[in-house]
Amino acid sequence: MTGGKRKRQAEETEAENDAQPKRRNKQRVLMLSSRGVTHRMRHLMSDLEALLPHVKKESKLDSKSQLHLLPELADLHNCNNTLYFEARRHEDLYLWAAKTPNGPSIKMHVLNAHTMDELKMTGNCLKGSRGLLSFDKAFDETEWGRMTKELFTHIFGVPPLARRAKPFIDHILSFSILDNKIWFRNFQILEKDPEQPNGPSKMSLVEIGPRFVLTPIRIFEGAFSGATVYSNPEFVTPAAVRSMMKHRKGDRYRNRKDAQEESVQRKELRRREEDALSVPKVFA
Amino acid sequence: MPKFPPERANADESSSEEDEFSELSGDEQEVIALDDVEDDVVGEDVIPKQKVEIDNTDALRRIRETIQLDPSLPWTETLVVTYPETIEVDVNDDLNRELAFYKQALHSAERARTLAAKHSLPFTRPSDYFAEMVKSDAHMERIRIKLLDERAGIKKAEEKRKEREAKKFGKQVQIEKQKERERSKKEMTERLKSLKRKRKGALENAEADGEEFDVTVEEAIGDERSSKRPKKEGGGKKMSRGTRDAKYGFGGKGRRSKQNTRSSTDSFVSGGNKKGKGKGAVNKRPGKSKRQAMKNRRS
Repeated sequence: MTGGKRKRQAEETEAENDAQPKRRNKQRVLMLSSRGVTHRMRHLMSDLEALLPHVKKESKLDSKSQLHLLPELADLHNCNNTLYFEARRHEDLYLWAAKTPNGPSIKMHVLNAHTMDELKMTGNCLKGSRGLLSFDKAFDETEWGRMTKELFTHIFGVPPLARRAKPFIDHILSFSILDNKIWFRNFQILEKDPEQPNGPSKMSLVEIGPRFVLTPIRIFEGAFSGATVYSNPEFVTPAAVRSMMKHRKGDRYRNRKDAQEESVQRKELRRREEDALSVPKVFA
Repeated sequence: MPKFPPERANADESSSEEDEFSELSGDEQEVIALDDVEDDVVGEDVIPKQKVEIDNTDALRRIRETIQLDPSLPWTETLVVTYPETIEVDVNDDLNRELAFYKQALHSAERARTLAAKHSLPFTRPSDYFAEMVKSDAHMERIRIKLLDERAGIKKAEEKRKEREAKKFGKQVQIEKQKERERSKKEMTERLKSLKRKRKGALENAEADGEEFDVTVEEAIGDERSSKRPKKEGGGKKMSRGTRDAKYGFGGKGRRSKQNTRSSTDSFVSGGNKKGKGKGAVNKRPGKSKRQAMKNRRS
């Protein structure tokens, strides 16, 4: 780790000595998941890997409690960003986007993930072409939005010198904030109408996929560590949602049982004592 | 659940990392402690837990500034485009929501194209540039087939719908058809009558050239029949359920319908065999050999 640091420091000083104009955007992203990802999550990861040529995929991380290993791991692979997919209970997926080694890191909950395998998304693009990044204005309105935008620019923007990057731009990744969530879409850019190849160039888009929604949960100051600098008050854990639903169901059952018991008790109360005028005695 | 508590991470970190935000983390711990106390006092079922919101904008800004890319970098390094509008649609309205995203992406793509032209960055892929794509050819073929299937399905549904609508007027059509049939029948008899009238003069030797007469009749009716026939033969259309039931029978009369009942035993009226009785009466024309013999006798 120290070696990597020294190297980077050396680079920085070099860059400073070289004078400004040769500055480049250098990004490499380490992508890995925790154990217990389902096929859908795995496919989502492989889709992102196909789209982002500067991603290095690592094998699954064994332990969910040892996230402090991640910055080291990233350093070993010469990566300065990390995307960590954390699967919980085989159904919930959390995404950590972090800048290693010094942070910050954002923890998000992944919702409504659709992969590229779905036949509804008919677009296609070059493997490894640099995608455009589009952010809507809402990112610039809040401080956490600005932070997220910066981080996503590093992680999802393909640097021009990525080894497997291809020239030409044929797709666009769009990030929008709606309902306090970040919506991700990926479109292919068609510059000509496929039915009239010689007609006037009119831009249109076709969705390639994947698509997903991210709910930001917390932003930490360090990489997978550090103080919380932002937390989303609206976030409710999916486990809490599920338990609430179960409770509601349980309530229904309980209410029914209560009602049954009550009716039995009422019947008991209304029963009349055996007396001389009771029906079986009169009509015996 | 092996949840990773950020507070613990916080404790880990504050000892080792920068002390810039030490007052910040202390602050946060205080807040959380307060929250815990509140929980203990109030109890679970009275008030739902109020989450502590942390939004330390100063720290966020400072951190962002430390990681920020050099603003002097040319646009081609990042390819980031900002859409100048926020997206304000109903989240649950899928169509409008996706449309808004599409608009954002389209606007950004167009903007990027002009920017790329300005920075002389190659944007459009030439048509002869082939390379590996994100989706394989096999996958694209599956997509294509699915699209075709979908289109066929839509067409089929459309046809079905039309048919249904046509059925609404079916009754009218049926009445029309019956009228048409009657009219054609009338016409036919008219024609035959006129033919007979024409031939009346030659009625004396009508028997002689009977066959010839037949031929003319055939000719007179001919066009009528020939126009009718193909419709019946090629008719892919089924008879209606009611017609089919009437023709082929449906259900039957029940199990004991052929058993004798008291009334049937008492009555001595025989059902009688009607077959073959009417035949002679209907066909007045003698058979061929007889006709031949008649002809020979006359001559």
